Amino acid sequence: MEHIVFGIGITALAGALATVAGSAEDTESNIGSQGDPNSQVQLAPQMGHLHRIFNKAVAGEPPAYALWCALGAGLAWAFLAMQVNAVLAIVLGSILAVFVQGVYATTAYLGRTASLSKFGQPVYVDILKSMTTVAMAHAFVAIFCTVTICYLINTALGHPFPLPLLGFIWGIALGAAGSATGNPYYGKERQYQNQKFGAGVPISASGNIVCYAEAGERNSLDNGFFTAKFGGPASGLCFGLIVFLELWRTILFEQVGAGWGAIIVGILIILIFTIIDRYIEVWARKNYGPYTAPAKEAAP
Amino acid sequence: MTAIAAKPQAGSAMNPAAMAVGIVLLIILIGIAYVLSPGLGLMALIGVIIGGVMIGFGVHFVPVGGAPAAMGQAPGIATGVAMLAAGAGLAGLFGGAWAADQGLVIAVITGGIGGGLMMAITCMMVNFVYVFGMGIPAASGKVLKDPITGDSQPEYKSQGTEGHGLPFVSFVGGVIGGILGGAGGTLIYIELLDLYKATFPTLMGASATQVLPLAISLAGVFAIGMFLVNAVLTAYNITGTIEGPHDPKFKRWPRAIVASAVASALCGLAAILIVVPLAI
Repeated sequence: MEHIVFGIGITALAGALATVAGSAEDTESNIGSQGDPNSQVQLAPQMGHLHRIFNKAVAGEPPAYALWCALGAGLAWAFLAMQVNAVLAIVLGSILAVFVQGVYATTAYLGRTASLSKFGQPVYVDILKSMTTVAMAHAFVAIFCTVTICYLINTALGHPFPLPLLGFIWGIALGAAGSATGNPYYGKERQYQNQKFGAGVPISASGNIVCYAEAGERNSLDNGFFTAKFGGPASGLCFGLIVFLELWRTILFEQVGAGWGAIIVGILIILIFTIIDRYIEVWARKNYGPYTAPAKEAAP
Repeated sequence: MTAIAAKPQAGSAMNPAAMAVGIVLLIILIGIAYVLSPGLGLMALIGVIIGGVMIGFGVHFVPVGGAPAAMGQAPGIATGVAMLAAGAGLAGLFGGAWAADQGLVIAVITGGIGGGLMMAITCMMVNFVYVFGMGIPAASGKVLKDPITGDSQPEYKSQGTEGHGLPFVSFVGGVIGGILGGAGGTLIYIELLDLYKATFPTLMGASATQVLPLAISLAGVFAIGMFLVNAVLTAYNITGTIEGPHDPKFKRWPRAIVASAVASALCGLAAILIVVPLAI
């Protein structure tokens, strides 16, 4: 019984950490413009829209986070082997991984933006100075939380995989969940704030992103500030649910029915999410209705 | 003709000669494994090939919209094919590896359910963001009616887009893809783990307990590597985006199966050869 209560406590902690990690990951990728919406950041100068948006998408979020989390976990593992205190080891591992992320972000921004010089897009040094550190800070939160989850899973829950392997697996899952959930909100809702709410962006409008803010030109910090209010928490919820429910069903039901307990509970959870998804889909169809083209304003 | 309309037609590029070459290569690779290690090695290779084929087939189910989905220009999940499939499959492998002590069947099913669970949550959250964050209902661009629910699609599609969000059939496809990916990855892991657990003690002159961490790590690394090989191969077959099992591109799966089988056989042979001494 004590073992199960301990396991549930660790599961809850891991779920909470995963929620923070998902939220920080999405905000970091939006500040760095690393997800799929980056295609528009890259396209905009070619369409005549010069901008001050950071651009570090030389890898997708999942492989990038797999690298950084595996690196953080691997280094933490090495420090642990040197008898360093666990908390310190995880912090040091994450800090070193974040330095790699910083180098990656800097070279990616310079490389990607320089490639647009023929379209007149400048490389802004002040953007490089101010955005990189903010992206690194968010990356640290995401990496630290993920490495801590891996440490808890490995040490407290007894998963057989070593820490670096767990870092790789949960890093790639973090990037996948964060990019899947957070990208549309950044891509459509922020970059195309000039388009009508409640409809997709017409393909003909590609590259026509919003480049101006309330005062002056928009930059990536404005984008991070905007997406942190919905896209970030939604990504956090997604990754938090994945980690929590995966661990919860295993810890509580693994021993029931020689392993079948966890499988049946997993199937039930999938069915519950299927019903929720269907409800959301039907709710949207009923409440928003079919697409109607915006009415053209009458000539005065 | 627009650039979108000029895309190659789905399923029209089957090459029987290439498929035949692939099958011959597969037989040769299995033959090599049979000659070198007729017992454990051959069984492990066959398990690896089946796992790889499951991953390759499963990736076709996953609704991936890529960059256009991030602007609500195309249905699917706004990330890359290989990345999303790897995320789901590796989450499954995590669960499957945990259940490895409970036998092959339980572990493989647990891995499958882990992958399916990850995809179910992700797909639900995608629709959550589209509906409550952006006010956009789901609409498919490839079919007039959802094959499962019968909901009509075209009138919900925004002007100038190919659709958006995840219609119910895409959600189901995503879950099936996650299940197949997670199960396939776990099968590869278990097969290699059994092989390494049996061969490492003799090879390294150490006890079974001493070699266990190494066997687990190596089998895990190979399973992740083979997962990525199969996911990326299939991503090339899909070429960009796919809505799920109702998408015409889904019909391309036979050639991905052959490619995945050959690639898995080659990678599996490399994974087996590290523990099978060559009689030179």
